Amino acid sequence: MAFLELTHVNKLFTQGHYAVDNFNLSVERGEFVSFLGPSGCGKTTTLRMIAGFETPSSGSIKINGDEITNKPPNQRQIGMVFQSYALFPNMTIAGNIGFGLMIGGKSKDEIKKRVGEMLDLIHLPNYGDRYPYQLSGGQQQRVALARAIAIQPQLLLLDEPLSALDAKIRVELRAEIRRIQRELGITTVYVTHDQEEALSLSDRIVVMNSGKIEQVGTPFEIYNYPTTAFAASFVGQLNLIPITVADAASGNCAFNGISLNTSQPTSLANGSSAKLALRPEEMNFGKVDGRNLLDGTVESITFLGSIVRTRVDIGGFMISVDLFNERKITLPQVGEQVTVNFPAHACWILE
Amino acid sequence: MKRGSIWAWLWVVLGAIYFFLPLYATFDFSLRLKRGVLSFAAYENVFNDARFVESFTFSLQMALWTILVSLILIVPTAYWVHLRLPKVRPFVELITLMPFVIPAVVLTFGFIQVYSKSTTFFGIALPSILSLDFFTLPGLMQVRDFVSSRTPITLAFPIILIAGYTVLSFPYMYRAVDTGLRAMDVRTLTEAAESLGANTPSILWYVIFPNLRAALLSGAFLTIAIVVGEFTLASLLVWPAFGPYIQLIGANRAYEPAALSVISFGLTWATLGLLQLFTRGQQGQIAGAR
Repeated sequence: MAFLELTHVNKLFTQGHYAVDNFNLSVERGEFVSFLGPSGCGKTTTLRMIAGFETPSSGSIKINGDEITNKPPNQRQIGMVFQSYALFPNMTIAGNIGFGLMIGGKSKDEIKKRVGEMLDLIHLPNYGDRYPYQLSGGQQQRVALARAIAIQPQLLLLDEPLSALDAKIRVELRAEIRRIQRELGITTVYVTHDQEEALSLSDRIVVMNSGKIEQVGTPFEIYNYPTTAFAASFVGQLNLIPITVADAASGNCAFNGISLNTSQPTSLANGSSAKLALRPEEMNFGKVDGRNLLDGTVESITFLGSIVRTRVDIGGFMISVDLFNERKITLPQVGEQVTVNFPAHACWILE
Repeated sequence: MKRGSIWAWLWVVLGAIYFFLPLYATFDFSLRLKRGVLSFAAYENVFNDARFVESFTFSLQMALWTILVSLILIVPTAYWVHLRLPKVRPFVELITLMPFVIPAVVLTFGFIQVYSKSTTFFGIALPSILSLDFFTLPGLMQVRDFVSSRTPITLAFPIILIAGYTVLSFPYMYRAVDTGLRAMDVRTLTEAAESLGANTPSILWYVIFPNLRAALLSGAFLTIAIVVGEFTLASLLVWPAFGPYIQLIGANRAYEPAALSVISFGLTWATLGLLQLFTRGQQGQIAGAR
C-alpha cells in the first residue's frame, strides 16, 4: 500500500471550472515527488488539499492508510514550507524551529535538543538567537525547512520554496533540500514550475496542465519519453515539425517532400498529418549518412553558456538546434546554408 | 535660499504661530494666579485637589478597561475578516467608523433609553445596568475591597460607560489593527502555524498579537487620549471622570482651567511621544523581515 494516496480528487472552484480534475496518485514512503506545471495548473491547489488548507470537492486523501480528507490542517502532522518563508517575525530562529514542538507540549529540554539538531542539519548552528530579519533569504528558507521537519512530520510539503531566491542560492539550496530529504528519508511532495528543479530533485515527476495529470514518471522518462504533447513541450525544448505520415508501419513520414525516418510505428493512417517531435540537442550540423537530413538557412545564433542555440529556417519552418559549447567550436554564420542531421531514434510522432 | 523654500518656511512659521500662540497665551495666563508675579500656584491648586487625582485615575482605569475590551473584541474580528471574510471588510470598516458619524450624545441617550429601566428576566428582577459597576456585584466586592485596602485605587467597571468608550475607540483601534494585519502576511503565517499543529487561539496568542505589538500600542495610546478627555458619556451617565471635572473647574475657576489645559496637552504629547518611541523599533523589525 502506498504511503500517500490521492484517489479521484477533484476541486471545483467556480461553476464548471475544475482547479483539480480527477487527480489520482500514489506516493511511496520516502519518495520525493514533484508536481510540475505552469501557473494555474492546479499543482498548488493539490498540495494545499494534502496540507488541509483546501478541502477537495470530492475524492479522498489517505496518509499511511488514514483518511485525512476532512481533517483540519493542525491535526495532520504535515510539515509545510512556503514560497515566502513565512517565519514568525516576532520569534528567534530557535523559537521558530521549536514552535511546533512547543505547541505539541514537548519539554523545554527536549525542544532545546531538537532545535540544536535542526540547526546543525541546516548548517546554521550559531543562528538560534537571531531574528528572521537578520538572515538572508536562503538562510530564512533553510530555517523554514528546519521548522517544518522539527515536528517529525509524516509528510513534507514544499510550495515553490526556491522561487523567491536568486539563481545561485537556488541551486545550492536545491542540493541541500535533497540531502536533508535523503538523510531523513521523509516522504516529500514538491511543487514547482521550474523543470530544472523538478528534474534534478525528484524520484518521480507529476506533470500537470489545467487541473489534470498529463504524465507521471521518473525525470528520465518525463524528459526522454513524454507521452503527451504538453509534457513534451513543457519539459525541455522541443521542435515540433509538421509532417504527413508516409508509412505508418515503419514510421516513415514526409516533411515538404523530404522523407524522414522515425523507426516508430504509428497508429495514424497513411497520409494523415501529425507532428514530429525531437529535442534540439539531438540535432547536429553536417551531412551524415544514415541520419535524417534537412537543408536550411541559419536565422540566429544565441550563446547560452554551456550550449549554443541556433535557429534554422527549413523551408519556411523554424527549428532549434543546440550545440554543446567548447572552446574550439566552429559556429555557422547567420544566413549560411546548412544541413541539419538527426538520428531516427531521436524522433517520435505526436498524435 | 530658493524662492520656493522661502514661501515654504513662511507657511511653516504661520502654521506654528497659529498653533502655538494660543497655547502660549494659555500657559502664560495659567501662571498669573498671583497678582504681579509669575507662579505655578494654579498648578499647585490643581494637583492638591483630591478630585483631580480621583477623576484622573478613574478615567485612566476606564481607558485601560476600554483597551482590554476593545482588544478582545477587535483583534480576533479583524483577524478573521482578513483571513476568511475579506469581502465584508468594507462593511466592518464602515461599522467601526460609526462613532464619527453618530455623535456621542446620541449614543448616550440611546443607552439611557434602552438600559435605564430595571427589567425582569425569567421572573428574576434585574436592576438597570445603566449605572451598574461590575465590581459592586456580589463576589467581586471582595476583590474591590482587597485592592482598595492595599492601594489608593478603587476598582471600577461601569459596564455601560466602558461599552460606550469601547464603541468610541473602534475607529482608532480597528484602523490600527487593520494596518498592522496588512503589514504582515496573515494568511501564510496562519497556515504555517496551523501546519505546525497550532489552533486558532494559539495562533492569535503566539503569532498575531506579538506581531501586532506596534499597531496595538498605537491603538491603545489613542484610546487613552480619547477616553481620558471624554466628556459627554461620563457627564450624562454621571460618572466622576476627568472630562466632567475639567468642565466643572472651567465653569468655576479662572486660572486653574488654563493650568489643566496645559497639563492635558502635556499628557497627550507624552502619550504621542511614547507611541513614537515604541512603534519605531518594531516597524523596522517587521520591515526587515519582509
